[in-house]
Parts: sequence; C-alpha cells; structure tokens
Amino acid sequence: MRRKTWLLLLASLVAVLSLGAAGCGGDDDDGGEAGQDTGAATDGGGQPAAEQVMTVAWGADPPALDPGIAEDTTSSNILLNLMDPLVKLNPDTLEAEPALAESWDVEGPLVTFHLREDGTWTNGDPVTAADFEYAWKRVLDPELASGYSYQLGGIKGAAEYNSCESNCAALRDKVMVTAVDDYTLEVELTSEQPWFIQQASHHVFLPVHQATVEEFGAQWTEPQNIVTNGPFMLESFEHEANIDLVKNPDWRDADSVSLDRINGRIIIDGVTRVQAFEAGEVDALDGAGLPPEEIERLKTEPYYEQYPALGTYYYGFNTKNISDIKERQALSLAINRKIITDNIDRTGRDQATGMTPKGMPGFDVINPDSEWLPPEGDMERAQEIYAEVANPHSQINLFHNDAPGHKEIAVAVQDQWSELGVQTTIKAQEWAQFLEFLGPPPNDEVDVYRLGWIYDFPDALNGLEVFICDDPPGSTNNSTNWCEPEYDALVDEARATPDEDARWEIYGQLEDLMFGPDGGLPITPIMWYTYPNLENDAVRDTFFISPLDQIDFTKVVVQEG
Amino acid sequence: MAAFIIRRLIWTIPVILLVILMTFVMMKQIGGNPFRRSERPVPPQVQENLERKFGLDQPWWQQYITYVKNTFTFDFGPSLSAPGRDVNDYVTEQFPRSIKLGILAFIWAVLLGLPAGIIAALRPNSFWDYGVMFFSNVGFAIPSFLVATLLIYYFAVKFSLVPTSGWPLGVWELDSRVLLPSFALGLLPMAYFARLVRGSMLETFQQDYVRTARAKGLRYRRVVGVHVLRNSLIPVVTAAGPLLGFLVTGAFVIEFIFGIPGIGKGFIDGVRNRDYALVMALTVLLSVVIIFANLIVDILYGILDPRTRART
Repeated sequence: MRRKTWLLLLASLVAVLSLGAAGCGGDDDDGGEAGQDTGAATDGGGQPAAEQVMTVAWGADPPALDPGIAEDTTSSNILLNLMDPLVKLNPDTLEAEPALAESWDVEGPLVTFHLREDGTWTNGDPVTAADFEYAWKRVLDPELASGYSYQLGGIKGAAEYNSCESNCAALRDKVMVTAVDDYTLEVELTSEQPWFIQQASHHVFLPVHQATVEEFGAQWTEPQNIVTNGPFMLESFEHEANIDLVKNPDWRDADSVSLDRINGRIIIDGVTRVQAFEAGEVDALDGAGLPPEEIERLKTEPYYEQYPALGTYYYGFNTKNISDIKERQALSLAINRKIITDNIDRTGRDQATGMTPKGMPGFDVINPDSEWLPPEGDMERAQEIYAEVANPHSQINLFHNDAPGHKEIAVAVQDQWSELGVQTTIKAQEWAQFLEFLGPPPNDEVDVYRLGWIYDFPDALNGLEVFICDDPPGSTNNSTNWCEPEYDALVDEARATPDEDARWEIYGQLEDLMFGPDGGLPITPIMWYTYPNLENDAVRDTFFISPLDQIDFTKVVVQEG
Repeated sequence: MAAFIIRRLIWTIPVILLVILMTFVMMKQIGGNPFRRSERPVPPQVQENLERKFGLDQPWWQQYITYVKNTFTFDFGPSLSAPGRDVNDYVTEQFPRSIKLGILAFIWAVLLGLPAGIIAALRPNSFWDYGVMFFSNVGFAIPSFLVATLLIYYFAVKFSLVPTSGWPLGVWELDSRVLLPSFALGLLPMAYFARLVRGSMLETFQQDYVRTARAKGLRYRRVVGVHVLRNSLIPVVTAAGPLLGFLVTGAFVIEFIFGIPGIGKGFIDGVRNRDYALVMALTVLLSVVIIFANLIVDILYGILDPRTRART
C-alpha cells in the first residue's frame, strides 16, 4: 500500500516531466528552416528556394563588431559581410577586386582610391572618403590601443601617431591619409608597398560612421546603435548565443544578393556543432574545425567539404642547441609527414614541402619543393646523414602547447626520431606560458618546438619574413636563433619589389635559403592547414570558405531541397 | 538571528579582499602576455598602448588597488582578452543564465534525488533500494560530459525531441532547451542527495525518539513524515548550500557542450588569456555566491534544528 503510493508519485512525476519534454520538443523542432535533408539526398536540385534563409554555426564568439579593435576571425568574417570594404579579394585567385572603391591608382608610394558614389550607410548617409580617413586615424589612436594598428603602419606618419605620448593632435594631422574630396581617398605610404591594395581588404581598413561612434562610444556596435554600409545588417546579437543578419535592401548591389537572412548560432564545442548540424538545426558550419575523433566518419559523408587554408604547421629548431646542420637535415628527413596527415591529424591537410602553403598566389613560381621535406620521409638517408653528425644529441626536448592534436603528432615524431637513436622528451605547456617560453630568444631547454603560422594577407612574404634575424633580441617572432644576413637582405629586396612575378622569384630564393640543398633548415614544416567543414545540400554549391577564412554570404543561394 | 546575519555579512568583506589578493597573486605568477593571442607577436608599440590602456604599466600594488576599487564599485572595466567587451557584460548578461542552469539542475536533484533516497530508506535491501543505489552509483561515476553527449545524441539527434543546444536567454524564459543540460548537470547532486537521504533516514530510524514515537502508537506515516524526514534533512541542507554554489559556478563543461552563454567560457578564456579583469570579476562573483549559499544554509539550520537556534 505505502509502496504503491510512492511508486505512483514517482511515476506521475516522471510522466509529467517527459510529457513536458516531448511537448516542448515538438514546438521547437522546426529549427532547420531551409533544407532539413542533410542525409542521403545527393543532388542539390539546382532551383533557388523560395525562402532565402540559412543558419550557420559559428565556432567562436565575436567579442566586438568594431573593425578598429576586432582581432579574431569570427568578428572579421561577420564584419566583412556587414560592411563594404574598399577592395575585396577574389576568393579563388586572391587578387584585389573593386568593391566600394571602383578603381585606384598607384604611383610609387602614393595610392589614390576612387570611391563609388552610391555607397550608403544604413542610416542613409553617403559613404565618403572622410569616413575612411576618420576610421584609419581612429585605429592609429594610441588610446584606442588597437591590436591591428600595425597593419596601417605602412602609411606615412602612422607609426609616429600610434606611439605618441604628447603632441598627439599634431601627429594625428600628419598621418598621410587624406580625403581629397568626398569620393577620393589619398594615401601616402612610407615606401612603395606592392601589397597595400590587397592589404586594404583587411577588416581593420573598413570605414566607421563617425557620428555613431562618437555618440555611443564603446556601445556603438550594439545592434540598436550600429550603423554599417554593407550587404547585410546586424539584426540581433547575444554573446555566445546567436547573431542574426538580415539583407540590407538599400545596399548598392543588393540585387546580386540572394540571402534574406543569416541566422547565426554560436556553438563553441566542436562535438555539439556537429550534432547541431546532423540534427538539421544548422545548414553549414564556419570551418572552425571538427573534432578529430569524428573526422574519420564525417569524411565519408556527402556533406563534408574541405578548403585549403593559408597556414603552415611547423617544427622549429633552436639552432643554438641543434647547431649542426646535418643533424637538422637528418631529423627533418626522418619525419614521415604522410603518416601524420593521413593517420594522425586526418583533417585532410597536405604534407608541407616548404613554408609557403598551397593556394598562395605565386605558389607555382615559389615552388617550395624541398629535398629535406619528402612527404613520406627518407629514413635511410636520414640515418646516413645522422651518422656524419659530429656530436649528435642522444636526447632532445620537444615542446608543444597543450591544445588538442599536437601531442599525438609529437608522439609520432618521437617514434620516427627514435629510429635515428634519438630519445625525444615531449613537453606540453599551456598556451600563454608556451609563447613566453619560446621568446624569442627561446628558453635554453627548447631544442625543438611546434608552432603554426596563419597568414594575415595572401602574400608569401607574410610568413617568410618571420624568419629574419632576431636582432635586437625579441624584436621578431623568430624563435629559432637562426640568423642569415643574406636572407634578411632578400626580404628587404622583396619588400621593395612591386612587380609580382619578380617578387615571387625572390620568395623562391628565400625558400631555398631555408630548405634548398644548402638551406639552413631553421624549421621543418609538417603540414599546410585546411578548413574542414559541413554543409548541407541546400547551400553547398554556393557556400565557400576562402583561403583567408572568409565566407562571402553575398554569393550564397539556398537551393530547393 | 539578525545580529548573526549582519555579523556574517560583514565577514564577507575581508574574505573578498583575500580572494582578490590570492587571485591577483596567482594570475601574476603564471606569467604570459594577455595581449598575445596567437603565434603572431605583438608589436612593441601596440603592446605599450594596450598596457597603458589597461593600467598594466603601473606597479603591482597600484594594480591591486584598482582591482579592489573596481570590485567594490561593481565596475570591472573592459575585458583584456575580448577587445570591445565589458567585463560587466559577463556579470549582468551571462551570469544570470548560469544561475538559471544551476537552479534548474538543483530542482532536478531535489525532485528526483530526495524521493529516490526516501524510497530506498523506507525499504532497505529491497529491489527499490538496490535500484536507487545502483543509479546513484552510476550518477556518481559517469562524468557529466559523457552523460551530456549521450543525452544530445539520443534525445536531439536520433529522436529529435529537443534541440541539440542553445538556451532561452530571458531570465524567466523556459523552453525545451533547458531539459537536457539541467538534467545532465543535476545528475551528480541527484545521486548525492539520494545517498545522503537514505543514509541519514536509516540512521534516524534507529534513534530512540523514533522508537518512542512508534511505541506511542503514532501512525507510521506521521512518524516518517514528521520525525524521521525532518531530522534526516539536516545533513541534506548542509550539503545543499555549497552544492548549489557549485552548480551555479561549476557548470563550465555543461555550458560548453550545450552552447549555453553563461560565465563558464568566460572564466576558462579569462584564465587562458590572462584576462585579469575578467578573472577577477568572476572569482569575486563566485565567492559571493558561495558565501551566500553557506549563509542561507546556516539560517535554514536554525529553522530545522532547534538546538542550533538555542545557541544563537
């Protein structure tokens, strides 16, 4: 009798709760909107859907949608869809193409942008050259303390203003970016900088609406305050939850935009992101990475996509410790990169044969195809060369940061090096401490370290110039202690070479100085990055992630399932 | 009672000062540059501007004073690691969501854990007892992230009963998205409560006053309801306070998996990125929660247990 009462109580409680669950679930289950059929259907159909709405899962929270201070890729990605930059990069060739600037002239260090006259802010104001002048000087204002202010460092007077302590107003006027008239923006650079036009596609060069920024201060990016000038508008934004964009019907080229609405869900956990996609709640992910343990399965699914990225994953040698070039050659040769990419990393990355990654403009000319970096390694030759090393290390310290995946690769390398008779001690560190440990100059304990380089803009120099001499100490990001005056001279020469083909030749020589037959091998690149992604049939034909991690939503068309 | 509460409240001030000091010292000890978030070096000029902006160019004691001042004026300033965000955003917007998650998990624990424990205690060594204890062990042993992932897989992906992730953002807003995360988080306290209640009730059953009550001829239901249950709840209440604090503050993993915009990620990122302002704000906040949870427990003690009331 008594037992029955309790039983009944419990049963009814469970029933009520599960009923509640089912009821709510039913109501909420219409989240997929455009195209639930992530499953077996193979053909996208080809007909644009009546409802042009898609849901994308962002892998990180954009801290702020202020082009002056944003530093992360998610903010950058969203900003470039909210705003209209001067120039855009062609997603395939990465060449600069007209956007808000319909043309530009370059005469030595003098660059003149001619703006279109039909650019408007979302409050109706015209977009003028003065908006750019204001925005760029704002980025350089030391009080804003923009992390990307150095991107504008090539402009005459920029560095002086950015580092001013007194007399700032006068220095501000000496920054050589000038709105000559409403639609002409004149920029004087410190020297001829052939990459400046491409660089101007970076989000830090976006204009801001002066009156809005001044009225609302730090709050100007809130959805109710923000004024933008691009194809989409910010409708709502809740940090770490969702960010929704809607089409800007008044944008100058609105007719070319299909999407009416982009619902953004911010899902930071990789496993949850995959589950949200497979449950049909989102149409595509943003290329922020898939959980390694799921890759194997996902790769066989029809909704798996993969894009080349401009980034290189490498092992650096502390050449002060591993000072014998033969030892570096042997260690580099002993690494089987194919095993690492195919069996350990499994995200479809390419084995690196040099620093400059595939997909970089001029890759075929630069041709980083080093004999010291054979994709499957060359243990025989490695052992031969290792035998010639005068004082080989029997024990090597390999440092990596404790993010997922690095340890597994380190273990594989440890195993491969053991065939040379080298005993590798793997040491993992937390990211911020790791970076401090690497200096430069690196801590003496470091023999080999793992790092990666993600390119800021599509020019091989951006990665190659990392390895110039660290002189004075700590002035660069070169933790290898490798210093080759000839290399530095070539980097300087490349910086002063406006002609692309000629510059690519120099990049080839730079690669050679590092990885050629007599190269110094300060690092041994392991693989080139990719962006693995999931996209359902409704969007996969038009959804594209550029090598610089940008998604251009103006090109996306939702297809009939 | 009032004097007791006031005394306890005043005590929180030195505790918070100590929390700030310890957090400050520890954050400074681990080193690392808060402005370097990638492989890319921070140009010296940029570093200098940022340090000036966030007051890191000042001597350590001055920085400490600033943090103390910020704490007591509830203005934690801008975040170091998320450029453009104010730390106060985390406190006012995201913290209430963590509180909601913690409270919902607590409700699961009370709704299922207490009855389960009572059932087990009323029929010791029966099928029900073994069943409850089995589930309690399971609840203890399986980590919440595994439970969470399994729940999402079955209820959201496979049977599509609820969405995989997300959270109703309004303070009083509830929908099906709260079910899985709060259950996953509530599983451990549920198991804990069941165990605690069972043990405590079995012990109370042995007490003389229970035997007396039964000898007096009181109905079994009244003996259990008034004498046993009430006295068995004291250890539960003792555990519940800190537990609630833990649920509100310790749900990092669950928040992460279910994409809940609470404070969990802010805390982890704050420490990883050396965001002194953010870590300081959240640590203080969490200490306040724990202090208050314990205070409420002490007050409840007085109500449940006449002996403590006599002493205060």
